[in-house]
Amino acid sequence: MKRTLLIATCALVVLPVLTGCKIVKNPTAEEAALSEANMTDAERMAALVAREYTPRVVPHMETGAKDIGAVLDAIGQDLDTAGESLGIPKASEGSPWNFIAKGEGKVVASNRDSRAAKLEVDVTEDGAADLSIQLGPVIKGTALRDSANFYVFTEFRDQIEFAKLARALNDTAGAAISLPDGDLVGETVSFTGAFSLAKASDPVLLVPVVLSTGGDQ
Amino acid sequence: MIIKRRLLLSVVALGIATSLPSFASAEGLIAIITPSHDNPFFKAEAVGAEAKAKELGYDTVLMVHDDDANKQSELFDSAIASGAVAIILDNAGADATVAAVKRAKEAGIPSFLIDREITESGVAVSQIVSNNYQGAQLGAEEFVKLMGETGKYAELLGRESDTNAGIRSSGYHDIIDQYDMEMVAQQTANWSQTEGYTVMETMLQANPEIKGVISGNDTMAMGAWAALKAAGREDVIVVGFDGSNDVRDSIKAGGIKATVLQPAYRQAQLAVEQADQYLKTGSTGLDEKQLMDCVLINGDNAAKLETFALSE
Repeated sequence: MKRTLLIATCALVVLPVLTGCKIVKNPTAEEAALSEANMTDAERMAALVAREYTPRVVPHMETGAKDIGAVLDAIGQDLDTAGESLGIPKASEGSPWNFIAKGEGKVVASNRDSRAAKLEVDVTEDGAADLSIQLGPVIKGTALRDSANFYVFTEFRDQIEFAKLARALNDTAGAAISLPDGDLVGETVSFTGAFSLAKASDPVLLVPVVLSTGGDQ
Repeated sequence: MIIKRRLLLSVVALGIATSLPSFASAEGLIAIITPSHDNPFFKAEAVGAEAKAKELGYDTVLMVHDDDANKQSELFDSAIASGAVAIILDNAGADATVAAVKRAKEAGIPSFLIDREITESGVAVSQIVSNNYQGAQLGAEEFVKLMGETGKYAELLGRESDTNAGIRSSGYHDIIDQYDMEMVAQQTANWSQTEGYTVMETMLQANPEIKGVISGNDTMAMGAWAALKAAGREDVIVVGFDGSNDVRDSIKAGGIKATVLQPAYRQAQLAVEQADQYLKTGSTGLDEKQLMDCVLINGDNAAKLETFALSE
């Protein structure tokens, strides 16, 4: 009797308002939509990246990464040709080329005190740095977002939301970095990451999604 | 002669929505609608679009909405009534413009947006905008460097209804706020040179200690620079955004320190190329929303800048 009443009450109350009753299987989608509507762009994009970074972004980078030596070599010959064969297809005229690359190299210099900390890495074994690996917390550019090209600008409300996506990806990548202390000069690092290049002469500023010391990766 | 004809078309399109003469051109009429040409940025867009349209065999009509969404709506009615085959638009408000673009779409006229976005996708065929976030970060990095990574500064914001005002400010702060710098004043000057002047005057009175001013566009930066100059404060570091010839000349003369070039001329031409492609094939073959990167302009490369394009 009690149980019947309870169920009846539940059914009556719950038909329009799906709260407080165990019968409701999955209110989370609605709740999520409602709470997302109350978020700022930055919060909403941070939540998106929190959901998708590990299952989606990192595998995309690992699968898509080309050998850094081959990429730098090709860029040295001709950026457009390198971009067409090894880069992410350009989303539009006037975008820079984006590359996903992996490899290892020796740290020849570093600046870990700066807000925009970096390792200068030699991958061609000539003693000169070929690229900078950005360690954050300030990570520049949108290479990570633009390399994860399943994120399409048209599907975002506007540039502000799309920019916050880039920021959330950079912040997440920066926070995931775990390296031993010290300047690491002379150490070998293994990395997978993304960088943008508008001109062949521009510096290579890689945003790492995988980074470790030691060359056995 | 060309100017006369353009004027005539403008007058007719503005005044008499229903009875435009028919056009001789094989490809039809492209309506080019922008904010006022008083700002050379918008003039460059209009000129760039017009030149490309003529090259591709279209007639053109140039119209200005003066950042008035109601006026823009009337211009759309004119364009629809005059049988335009496509509309190139730098719009008068991200939200307010959606309805007008929809109306044109329902009338079978595709719109190709430049410079400013609207808040809905699937209404315009293309939205080609400068990568304002990337550009603002470039400008902010230069500003931080010029400021020696420290000190008090003021920010001039653009028009609030324009997404570009928000995105540039956001790009500026994503960089500047990482450093030991303090914003002591922030106010809109609505993209306007005269407002830039008066707002700067007021800011300077309240905050004479400022070391730098970062501005959401070049016209406001020009206004601010004039006010600083009048107050004998040419020590203040000013950085703008757009890449206008005015600011280029100021940089060369040691006034404003830097700006960020938006490729406005090329952007407008690209929109016309995409319109042409769409009209001929039914598709641009590209995503609707497209970003074009911006370039930092300072003393090193200012000499190569002319009418919103950088020579190699």
